[in-house]
Amino acid sequence: MEIIRDLIALLFFPSGLVLLVLSLFYEWVDRKLLAQFQNRIGPRWFQPFADVIKLLAKEEVIPQGVDRRLFIPLPIVGLAGVLTAAIYVPIMGMAPSHSFKGDLIVTVYLLSLLTLCMGLAGSNTIGRFSLVGATRTLTQLFSYEAPFLLALLGPAIVAGSWQISEITAYTENRWLLLTQPFGFLVALIGLMGKLELPPFDAPEAETEIVAGALTGYSGRGLALFHLGKGVEMLIGLTLIAAFYLGGVSNPLLFFVKTLALLLIMAGLQALLARLRIDQTVGVWWRYGALLVLVQWMVIIVSKGPVL
Amino acid sequence: MEEQQEVEQFMVPIGPQHPALKEPGHFLITVDGEIVTNAVVRLGYAHRGIEKATEERNWVRNLYLLERICGICSHIHATAYCLGLERLAEVEAPPRAQAIRVLVAELERIHSHMLWLGVAAHEAGFDSLFMYSWRDRETVMDLLENLTGNRVNYSANVLGGVKCDIDIVQADTIFMALEFLQERTRHYLDVVTSDAMFLQRTRGIGVMTRLQAEVLGVVGPTARASGVHRDIRAEAPYSAYPSYPVRVVCEEKGDLEARFVVRINELFESYRIIRLILEDLPPGELREKMPRRIREGETVSRVEAPRGELFYFIKSNGTDKPERIKVRTPTICNMMSVVKLAIGHQLADVPMILAGIDPCFSCNDRMIILERSHAKQEVWSWERLRQHGIEYYHGNHS
Amino acid sequence: MRFATMLSDVLPSLFKSPMTEMYPFERKEPPVHLRTLPSWKLEDCTGCGLCAMDCPSQAIEMIVLDKKAKRFVMCFHVDRCTFCAQCIYSCRQGCLEMTPENWELATLNKNALTLYYGDRVDVEEVLATAASSKDAQTTAG
Ligand code: SF4
Ligand code: SF4
Repeated sequence: MEIIRDLIALLFFPSGLVLLVLSLFYEWVDRKLLAQFQNRIGPRWFQPFADVIKLLAKEEVIPQGVDRRLFIPLPIVGLAGVLTAAIYVPIMGMAPSHSFKGDLIVTVYLLSLLTLCMGLAGSNTIGRFSLVGATRTLTQLFSYEAPFLLALLGPAIVAGSWQISEITAYTENRWLLLTQPFGFLVALIGLMGKLELPPFDAPEAETEIVAGALTGYSGRGLALFHLGKGVEMLIGLTLIAAFYLGGVSNPLLFFVKTLALLLIMAGLQALLARLRIDQTVGVWWRYGALLVLVQWMVIIVSKGPVL
Repeated sequence: MEEQQEVEQFMVPIGPQHPALKEPGHFLITVDGEIVTNAVVRLGYAHRGIEKATEERNWVRNLYLLERICGICSHIHATAYCLGLERLAEVEAPPRAQAIRVLVAELERIHSHMLWLGVAAHEAGFDSLFMYSWRDRETVMDLLENLTGNRVNYSANVLGGVKCDIDIVQADTIFMALEFLQERTRHYLDVVTSDAMFLQRTRGIGVMTRLQAEVLGVVGPTARASGVHRDIRAEAPYSAYPSYPVRVVCEEKGDLEARFVVRINELFESYRIIRLILEDLPPGELREKMPRRIREGETVSRVEAPRGELFYFIKSNGTDKPERIKVRTPTICNMMSVVKLAIGHQLADVPMILAGIDPCFSCNDRMIILERSHAKQEVWSWERLRQHGIEYYHGNHS
Repeated sequence: MRFATMLSDVLPSLFKSPMTEMYPFERKEPPVHLRTLPSWKLEDCTGCGLCAMDCPSQAIEMIVLDKKAKRFVMCFHVDRCTFCAQCIYSCRQGCLEMTPENWELATLNKNALTLYYGDRVDVEEVLATAASSKDAQTTAG
C-alpha cells in the first residue's frame, strides 16, 4: 500500500502528471497575461502543450564536442529534481505528501538543481553561446540564491520551524506580506531571477547569445528543461503564496493566490527592461541582499532571540 | 599566470544567422570574460547584384528595382533615382509632385524611426516598448497605404512626378493620425529618457565623440547624436525641401541615449513638416512627361534617408538603359563605427551598439574588386558576379 | 530616473481588448486607393506593349494575334505582380485600371494565378497553342 501511495505521489499527484499539466497551464497564463499587458492577443490555451509535444516528437540532435554521458542525463536530472521538490510543497492546496524537518532547505536546493543542470549543460558544449550562457546562468544563480533563500527563511523563523507543512500551518490566515513586505518582494523577484524571466533574462538573452546555456539542446532534452522550468515556477509560486499570502489551504485559495502572484509577475516582466549580467549581480547584492537582511533584523529584533 | 596568456582568445561569432540580426552580417567578437577586446565585421551575405541588374533593365523598370534595395526606406531610394534622372533628362517634376514626394518621404521616416525604436528596445530586452511602438507604427503604415495603395514598397514615384494625389479627406486623416502619433511620441521620449532600467542600457554606452564621428565619417542620426550638424535636407535641400525648411536635430552626448533622443526628436520634426505641407500644398499637375531615352551624361543625387545620407551616381549613354548606377547607402558609412565603439564594452552591449546605427544589411552590400595592376580592365557578366557571390559565401565557412 | 515608465500603457491594456485583428473573421474596409488586380479594357488597347515593357516584374504578357483586327490577349501573372501601378501610367490609352475590389488573392492553386484577358475565342486560341507547345516539349523531353 505504502508503495502504491508513493508511486501515485511521484507519478500522478502531487508530483508527476498533474503537476506537469498544471505547470503548462500556468505557463500559458503567464504568456497570455504578458501578451495582454502588451496589448497583443497571445497564444491559445493549448500552445504550451503543443510546444512540448512537438519538441518531444522531434529528433534530438547531439552536437559535436559534448560529453554524451552528461548531455543526455542532465535534463532528466533537472526535471527529476523539481518534480521531487513538488512532494514537499502544498500543490493545489493539498497537504504535502511527504514532509520532514528541514524540508524547506531541501526543496529550495532541489529547485536550484535545475539551474545547476542548465549551467552544466551549457558548459558541456563547445558552443560559444552555450558557454557564455552557462557562465551567466551560474553567475546569476550565485547572485539571487542567497537573498531568495533568506527571504523564504523569514517566515520559517517566525513560524519557528523549517518544515514546510508546519510553516504553512503557522502562516494560515496570517498575511506575512504585511509584516515582512521586503521579504515578499525579494522572494517574488528572486523567483523571477530563478526562472530567468525579464528583467533577469540575461542568461538567455536571445539578441545576444541565442538561447544561452540551452542553445545546443533540441527535441527531448529541450522539452524536459522547458517542463522543468514550468514546474519550478509553479512550486515557487506555491511557496510564496503559502508563506506570504496567508496560506493555500484549499484549491480555490491556491488558484486565486498563485494566479494573482502570476499577474504581478507578468506585469513586472512587461514593465522592466533586461539587465546586463553585471547589473543583475549588482542589483542582487546591493539591494536584494540588503533588503532581506534588514527584514531579518526586524524579525529578530521583534521576536527576540531565535533558535 | 603564464598559462593564462597562452589561453586562446575566446571568440563569439555573431551571424550570419543570429537572432539579434534579422539580416545576415557576420561579427567576430573577441571577448575577455564579458568585455569585448576586438571586433571584426564581414558583410556581403545579402549582396543581390542590383547595381549590375539595373544595366539590363530600362529606366522605368529600374525605378522599382532600386526601390527594393531597402524594404524600409524604399521611397527615398526611388526619390533619389527620380531626382537624379530628372536632372539628367532636364525634366522638372511639378511642385505639387515634389511636395507629395517629400510628404511620403517624411511619413516613411516616421515609419522607419518607429520601427527602429522597437527593434532597439527589443535588443535591450524591453519588449513592451517594442510592442507598443510597433503598434503605433501601424498608424503610419495605414496612412501610407491609404495614400499610395501599398504598405511597404509604396511606389509613389513615377519618373517625372508622383502617382498619388492628396484630397481633403486624406489630409484630414493624416492630421488626425499625427495628433495621435505626436502624443505617443512624447510618451516614448519620456520613456527613453527617464526609465531607470532602460537608461542603464543606453546612458553612457557606445559614446562617440564629435571628432570620432567626423573621422569615421558616420552619417544621419548617428552622426547628429554626436553633435555633427549634417543633414542633406538642410545642407543641400532637394525636391520640395527649399519651401519647407528642416531644422536639424542634434544632440551632443554621442551615447546610445542621444541616438534615441535624436531619432525621436526627428519624429516631431517630421510631424511639423508634414503639417506644413498639408496646409500649403501647391496646386497643379502631378506628372511631367519623361523621355524614354535619357540623353548621355552623368549625375549625382544626394538625399537624406532615414538612416543618413543616400548617394546615387547615375550614368547614361543615351539609350533607354543606364550605363552605370552606383548606390551608396548610409549603413555602409556607419558600420565601421560599430566595430570601433564595441571595444571595451560588455558583450551584452554589442547588439545595442549595432542597433544604435539602425543597420540595414541588404542595402549595405556592394562589391568592389580592387585590381593592383591598372593595365587590365574587365566588365563582369551577371554569371561571373553570381559565381563570385557563391564562392564568397562558401569561402567564409571553409 | 523613474521605474516602470510604461505603466500607463501596460496597466490599461489589461482591461482593453488586444490590438490584433482577427483577420479572416473580421475584415476591415480596404482603403480607397488600395492597389489590387489591374483590370484591362480591350476596346481601347492598341497592342503597343508598353505596359509589358515597363512592368518591373514581367507580370504582363501582351500577346498580339492580329494587330489590325485588334485581336490581343493579355496574359497576366498575378503571382508576379508587385502592385506598383506602373502599367497604369505607362499605358497611353488608359486601358488599365486598379480598383480596391478583389484584394484577397491568396489561393492554393497556382494555375489560378495566371489570368487571360481578352476575347473568349482569342484566349482559347492562345491556350491551345500554349498547350500544344507544352505537349511538344514533353514529347521532346
Ligand atoms: S502593377 Fe506593376 S508589377 Fe503589376 S502588372 Fe502593373 S507594372 Fe507589372
Ligand atoms: S500599354 Fe495600354 S495600349 Fe499598350 S498594350 Fe498595354 S494596355 Fe494596350
